[in-house]
Amino acid sequence: MAKTKLSLGYGPKLETVPVELPPGEPRPWDANDQLEVVGEPVPRIDGQLKVSGAARYTHDVALEDMLHAAVLRSPYPCATIKRVEVKAALDQPGVEAAIAVAAVGDKLIFAGQDVAAVAAARPEQARAALASIVVEYAPAPFVVGTRAAMRDGAPLVHETAVEERRTGADEPGAEKATGELSGNIRPGRSQKRGDAKRALNKAALTFEATYETQCHTHSSLETHGVMVRWDSEDAATVWASTQSIFSVRDEFAAIFGLPPAKVRVITHFLGGGFGSKFGANASGTAIAKIAGELARATNKPVKLMLTRHEEHLCTGNRPDSIQTVKLGATATPGAQAKITAIHVQAHGSAGVGTGAGVGRNASAVYTKVPDVLVESADVFTHAGPAVAFRAPGHPQGAFAMESALDELARQLELDPIDLRLAHDGHPVRRWQLELGRERFNWDARRQAAADMRARGTRVRRGVGCAVSIWGDFSGTEARVSVEIDRKGGVVVKNGVQDIGGGIGTIMAQVAAEVLARPVDQIRVEIGDSELGPGVGSGGSKTTASITPAVRNAAEAAKAELAQIAAEALEASSPSKLRWTNEGVSLGRRSLTWAELCERIEGEAIVAVGTRARTYGHYPKSFPGFPTPEIAGAQFAEVEIDTWTGEVRCTELLAVHDCGRVMNEMTVRSQINGGIALGVGYALMEERVMDPSLGVVLNPNLDQYKPCGAKDLPEISIVLTEVLSGNNNTGAYGIGEPATIPTAAAIANAVGDALGVHVRSLPITPAKILDALERGRQTSTEGDT
Amino acid sequence: MSDHSKQPGGVTRRGLFRTLGAATLVAGCVKQDPGSENPERSEAPELDDALGLTPAPLEFVLDGQPVQAEVEARTTLLELLRLDLDRTGTKVVCDRGACGACMVLVDGVPRNSCMMLAHDVGGSEVTTVAGLAEGEQLSALQLAFIEHDALQCGFCTSGMLISSTALLREGGPLTRGQVEDAIAGNLCRCGTYPHVVDAVLAVANGEGGRRQTELLQVKKGGA
Ligand code: FES
Ligand code: FES
Repeated sequence: MAKTKLSLGYGPKLETVPVELPPGEPRPWDANDQLEVVGEPVPRIDGQLKVSGAARYTHDVALEDMLHAAVLRSPYPCATIKRVEVKAALDQPGVEAAIAVAAVGDKLIFAGQDVAAVAAARPEQARAALASIVVEYAPAPFVVGTRAAMRDGAPLVHETAVEERRTGADEPGAEKATGELSGNIRPGRSQKRGDAKRALNKAALTFEATYETQCHTHSSLETHGVMVRWDSEDAATVWASTQSIFSVRDEFAAIFGLPPAKVRVITHFLGGGFGSKFGANASGTAIAKIAGELARATNKPVKLMLTRHEEHLCTGNRPDSIQTVKLGATATPGAQAKITAIHVQAHGSAGVGTGAGVGRNASAVYTKVPDVLVESADVFTHAGPAVAFRAPGHPQGAFAMESALDELARQLELDPIDLRLAHDGHPVRRWQLELGRERFNWDARRQAAADMRARGTRVRRGVGCAVSIWGDFSGTEARVSVEIDRKGGVVVKNGVQDIGGGIGTIMAQVAAEVLARPVDQIRVEIGDSELGPGVGSGGSKTTASITPAVRNAAEAAKAELAQIAAEALEASSPSKLRWTNEGVSLGRRSLTWAELCERIEGEAIVAVGTRARTYGHYPKSFPGFPTPEIAGAQFAEVEIDTWTGEVRCTELLAVHDCGRVMNEMTVRSQINGGIALGVGYALMEERVMDPSLGVVLNPNLDQYKPCGAKDLPEISIVLTEVLSGNNNTGAYGIGEPATIPTAAAIANAVGDALGVHVRSLPITPAKILDALERGRQTSTEGDT
Repeated sequence: MSDHSKQPGGVTRRGLFRTLGAATLVAGCVKQDPGSENPERSEAPELDDALGLTPAPLEFVLDGQPVQAEVEARTTLLELLRLDLDRTGTKVVCDRGACGACMVLVDGVPRNSCMMLAHDVGGSEVTTVAGLAEGEQLSALQLAFIEHDALQCGFCTSGMLISSTALLREGGPLTRGQVEDAIAGNLCRCGTYPHVVDAVLAVANGEGGRRQTELLQVKKGGA
């Protein structure tokens, strides 16, 4: 360990602090480093391929001789298979193989589960051939509603212990959810500080409310899909629409009993994932197993791309939730009021799968509340399984917790920002709340909202805020190589995939920064397992895991070049050299980049870099992890027509921290995306199940409505940079934090506009009208 | 493309329909010259011109090049473009007119290609994302998309470009609202909308100005 002093901090708070660096680690970029390329709004290096339509996504890959697969899915939410015969499908035009995926006696537990599959020359032939597969089902009782599944005597989804399918996108620690199944309910994680139940009993004032959130589907524009080609008996190439190339490799190898090294996985371009695309199979359909078996049976490459309908049924969703929040507070009026206890009891259904956490807002944001208990339980229903979805658990948890805080603030006649400031121990988030208050014109707008309420205007406006918490969960598994050849070419290689955040561009920026080369002179190769171990894009850790490894590789390559240069220029030490875009110099003697690279012995310098474990000095660590806690706060304004219940989010201010900003423009894109997802979650999106048929009623985008261009508010973004020396580039993630508080902030703005809270997402016009009615009733009751 | 549609036993589907002789069955699929359309016509249509499940010839102009193909009546324009004509820049997302990812220009009008049969474009000019550039030279809008980061994963991008290209061709300066109206049928799950609007406005109004994030860096010499 080498000790060094770094200039670290955030905003106005800059300190010189000693930091222990792991062996071989370059000095992390701190406040004294004037970076030329890193942080700049460099346009994406693959932009040209994407705007010209030349980028080939997994959906677009075509191989000679390839076949297309289609899957027959159970129409019943619960049924036992009595007979399954695929033979007749083989006689259909174009069909080359047909397999049963479920066997006689198997119990199917959601509508959409795999039953059988075929491979044919054309996709429409494969789909048509499914009709000739004979299946006899013995349907059984089922339950698809979360509350219904919690009742005594509800049909049981699982009769024995539930098999977990965990992925790298789960919130770290989620695997601890292993309580004992009772009926359809299984207790999961709990977070605990002090004794919340006792504190609630003793509290002078208590508040209790139940909040509900809906089931939300990922709806990545590219559906899940793979193409499998067997290169020999025991070696395969898999093209996969995945956000984690190496998890596809490992799961595919495990399914077919191969050593992972015999499986090559390629994802050159990816049309979104949002947490759902880890592993070779999807959460509710064995796409890789099916494509692999069909490819084996036919000796041809087989492509299996799900339709949008299938994507909605069986590739994951954000579980719904029913959360009862109890708050205890002191009776002291106004700004002196203190929250003494928080107790959250959450149930959520992840269908037949698990993953119904509710984030960490209560326990980890409000560190100044002495007694906290958050209990969550999975409820099983006969519906497609959930899977991690952009900040798993957090938007649900934030909606309930942040709503309850606002409702309590209203009861105490307190400004909700003040109430948050009084209980949040993170200095950066406190700064963000103050910034937002000022930038959003909070006080004036709240006053205007109160005036409209008092006058009972038809159109009301209101403002609300909510906060997010996330951690830097970066991994050390990536191996990045930087090659510099004798012609001066620089190539950066890693097997990471780009989920849309633009990791390739940022890799080029970091290498360009270290080598003092123009960004367009750096070639980046990613999206292929042969390019060296990468990381999965889950947990908002891609940038923070990959960029330090790029820097290390580039520094090592540069050190070799520096040796060559020092010899040529007769420098006493490589540290005396001056590097510029042109090349390297010492006093008046210089070498151009081309002249320098010509002196490389052999074909090229090849250096490999890794990321050290997180170190550094940060304003606050994420509870339970030796890493920075990432802070964020969003402020929303809504406009509501109280006659029709129509609601629009008109403005949104997002104040976030993502460590050192790597690319100002692509960060903004990610934040816009988090907000768009949150607006859809707040106001529009909901997977609807038919309780009598047990099927999804809106399994396509005509009836399941994500946020469109006209639904989006005007967005302003403030990045509160934090330099923490957590790694040598100082990056950490933003993808997930950006979506956590959006729906909660909008809900709070709705509460401000109406004077009553809507306690259920999505906030539809009908719920607005209901809330207004509730408000009218309580005020008449109050009058009498 | 032709052998897969043969029925076992050598009966072609077309032959089958012919023996059925059901004029109603084929009425909706008859190639007609729109100018000569006569709703009162009572005799059965010319069966030789009818489109059944067997591939029939189709000619149109694709990205400036004439195309001749044998296409089944059931094939959508989107399927034809993606599966047979290697236009994979045009994406399939919902396959039912709800997302705009499959958009192409048909005689200059943006259309969801999943909602059109391939035979609907006989004689028309179809432009996909691959036809927006002049050779190697990207269009001003394509360049603006890169410059303004109007794409993340990029899966919605070709549809966004098609909608906005059609809007820009109408000419004149534009407002944010007009651009949002034009791309209202294009879904982007990555939430790139504000940057798409910026890019289109930059081209329409000749604005160079790029949206900024307020970046509050650590102050040197702070406390
Ligand atoms: S694929 Fe055509 S509109 Fe969605
Ligand atoms: S950029 Fe990913 S869907 Fe629009």
